[in-house]
Amino acid sequence: MQLIKAIIRPNKVDEVREALEKLSISGMTVTEVRGHGKQKGHTAIYRGKEYNVSLLPKMEIEVVVDDAAADDAVKAIIQAARTGEIGDGRVFVIPVARSYRIRTGEQAT
Amino acid sequence: MDAANSASAAGAAAALDAARRELIQDTIRGCAGRLAAERYADRVDTLLQRLFFDAAPAAQPVAILALGGYGRRHLTLHSDVDILVLFEGSIGADDERFLNGFLNPLWDLHLVVGHQVRELADFARLETDNPEFLLALLDARRVVGDPALHSRFVAAFHRPETHASILELLQRLIDDRHEKFNGTLYQLEPDTKDAPGALRDLLAVRTIARLTDPGLLGRGPADPARLDDAEDFLLRVRSHVHLERKRNQNVLSHELQETAAQALGYAGEPQQRVERLMSDYFRHARIVSRSLEWARKTAPIPVGVNLVQSNDGIRFVDPQRAAREPHTWLHAFQAAIDHGSAVADEALALIQQHVDRYAAEDFFPTADSQQALWHFLKPRPGLYARLSEMHDRGLLGRIFPEFQGIMSRVVRDFYHKYTVDEHTLLTIRNLERLTDPPTPSRQRFAGLLGDLAAPELLVLSLLFHDVGKWRDEDHAVESVRLARQMFLRLPLPAESRAIVEFLIEHHLRMSMVAFRRDTEDPEIVKHFADLVGIEERLKMLCLLTLVDIEAVSLETLTPWREELLWRLYVDTYNHLTLGYGDERIQHDQSGVADLLAGRPPELSEPEIRHFLEGLPRRYLQLFERDAIYRHVRLSREITPDHVHAALERKGAMWELTVVTLDKPFLFSNICGVLSSFGMDILRGHAMTNPNGLVLDIFQFTDEDRYLELNADGRERFLDVLEAAVSGRLDVTARLHAREHSVLYDGMVRRFAPVIHADNHSSRRYTILDIIASNAIGLLHRISRVISRHGCDVDLVLIATEGAKAIDVFHITADGAKLRAVAEVELMADLQRMLEGHDATD
Repeated sequence: MQLIKAIIRPNKVDEVREALEKLSISGMTVTEVRGHGKQKGHTAIYRGKEYNVSLLPKMEIEVVVDDAAADDAVKAIIQAARTGEIGDGRVFVIPVARSYRIRTGEQAT
Repeated sequence: MDAANSASAAGAAAALDAARRELIQDTIRGCAGRLAAERYADRVDTLLQRLFFDAAPAAQPVAILALGGYGRRHLTLHSDVDILVLFEGSIGADDERFLNGFLNPLWDLHLVVGHQVRELADFARLETDNPEFLLALLDARRVVGDPALHSRFVAAFHRPETHASILELLQRLIDDRHEKFNGTLYQLEPDTKDAPGALRDLLAVRTIARLTDPGLLGRGPADPARLDDAEDFLLRVRSHVHLERKRNQNVLSHELQETAAQALGYAGEPQQRVERLMSDYFRHARIVSRSLEWARKTAPIPVGVNLVQSNDGIRFVDPQRAAREPHTWLHAFQAAIDHGSAVADEALALIQQHVDRYAAEDFFPTADSQQALWHFLKPRPGLYARLSEMHDRGLLGRIFPEFQGIMSRVVRDFYHKYTVDEHTLLTIRNLERLTDPPTPSRQRFAGLLGDLAAPELLVLSLLFHDVGKWRDEDHAVESVRLARQMFLRLPLPAESRAIVEFLIEHHLRMSMVAFRRDTEDPEIVKHFADLVGIEERLKMLCLLTLVDIEAVSLETLTPWREELLWRLYVDTYNHLTLGYGDERIQHDQSGVADLLAGRPPELSEPEIRHFLEGLPRRYLQLFERDAIYRHVRLSREITPDHVHAALERKGAMWELTVVTLDKPFLFSNICGVLSSFGMDILRGHAMTNPNGLVLDIFQFTDEDRYLELNADGRERFLDVLEAAVSGRLDVTARLHAREHSVLYDGMVRRFAPVIHADNHSSRRYTILDIIASNAIGLLHRISRVISRHGCDVDLVLIATEGAKAIDVFHITADGAKLRAVAEVELMADLQRMLEGHDATD
């Protein structure tokens, strides 16, 4: 099992979800996050005053998939979330050692 | 004196003599209390009526009113007979003759007459410097004369503000009087009129109850009947003192205590009689004193017509009257907001009981009452609570039947946590909380709310944004339809209606763009900016979106969403204020065809096209069709040095529209003229088209009420404007005098000015964003500096946020953007001027 964690633009959540659903991947966690990578933010001006926008609003999507489905899931996320400009985000793939269902205590497969 | 008059005088003297003998007999028997005093007052009434008809008639309606104790029919032997001779209008020679004919016989009878002569118009202003007279007027009773005139006096005098002032004056009079007696009623030789617990205190208790809550005495520490007993006792004693002293003297001295005890029928030895008399005196005085203390502590405060504020909130003084007058109900809720109070349960119950008897139209039958509704909807602490009370008692749904459809309406979705009606009211609570923002991050949104010219339109939009949810289809469209239905009953100006309809129709749009579109994409921002068109709408839509999301559930508005929303606001605001100069009205511009199609017959198509072409596109969104046609008319046959201007009152503000041809220092001169008249410019737009036609619109407040107080004020103002624009008048000198007036010293609040120059946002213009303390002549000085640098002021946006002036100038030099050196020099000069170091200004 692999945990796929994707930091994407907020407006791309629906497209990513739809892309994953097409791969029959439905369970996901979506979190509002703020941060920056290469897109270091910018200086905005409002009524003549500058203010620094250093942390940008992003969405974090977490989804756990079988090892065999991981590559397709990553591709689907990238295709759906990509605009081509700096700030499109990152995808991380992390191995999952074990997982358990809280209701029953059973180890999930 | 002729025989008839002589006979009449003799008759009057005999009548008065008989009345006095009767009262003296009552006094000797110790029973000259309430009834005897009333009887004597009636006899004096008869006497006055007789003299009134004997006197030569006045030339106009006149009435004789009994005042004070006489007005209450409590006249003791040597009491002053206080009367008001009330005339309808100015007093002429015939009226003087009447006065002499009426008053002279009274003096001849040796009555101590305290008379006042007034014209009805005198009661338009309250004589607060004469509190005793005001109190006496409260008891004014018509003895003889024109009843209609008396009714008009009652209407002019008995106003809520008069009652409130009298109450305040009365409290002061009580304190002053008590101080003279060291604040104690236990006087060994008490003054039966003025001492604490004596007749004046008793009158004060009744006056407080009368002006605030007639039922008050029934809830007090003493039964009203015991107060009547006290009054009867005090009058009997006072009558005795008058008889013995033979004048208007009220102190019950040791010596008089013995005779009074005997006269009042106390049994026992002289000392015992006195002790019993004084024991009764103090018993009655204690009752009066406690009642007064209680009334002063608990009496409600008059806060409007038929409205008082008591411990449990705002109540109707006369519930039966309130039940008959549904158009006054909103006043109770307004008073509650104004006084930081609730509406009392008793008043709410009355409203609930009677609300179904009335239709929506009954609540706002006049333009004034409709205006009161819009005023009520201004977001302030307490608005949510009051609207909730109105909703709970069925009033909101009666005023706005469209709202009734969403009462307790449940729409099942994944995110809304409350019924539609409560969600709607919560949006208003969230908006009202912005008046005192709960977190620093909300300060920025609070600033937007403070910016709005008509925040009540936002509240109205919130009230209606989800009313369409009574159906399951596209609720925004249905909500707009219902709002239009409401406007048929409660008309608003076209531009206000357009704002409300826009906000309702697009209330989901900003959240959709902020959270589901790539707002880093300038095209997305541009499209959104095209939709909202002007900053005022953007601010309103932003606030509506914020409070709408927050009212979905406690968790919905995260700081993350708040930030996204704010960024979209800033980007759109910058697009609207910085980039709009590049977007000009073209020949085939959308919206122009509609304007041409709907034009009035006297405006030609080429005329409209010529006027519009080259103005910024936002012009079409800023103004309604009729306003644009007015501007076209103003632009007709304009020549250099001429100004075509229109001055119009818009609620609490004024709007000046100026059309002229461009020239150096033009904008500066126009602003200078406004400031030289003491006008405070709050909002405005200045635009120029490529033909040099200038259209400036200023909204301002007339702080000195110059235009209101001077009949020819408008003409004089427009004359000065024309003289300034043509160069015949030195505006700077005129303004200089104003700025150095003693009246304006210290009005300028200083904080560090901010100037930002932007040479990138527009292809055509250098943009100056200037934020500074709002002050008289600020715009004049800024634009003068700009003009002195040889720059043209092409476009200006004027805004204020509290004491802060926020002005955006689009300028050029020789038709192009400023070069770097010129920009630096201009900025330095502006900075110096704003910091008050500009010697040449």
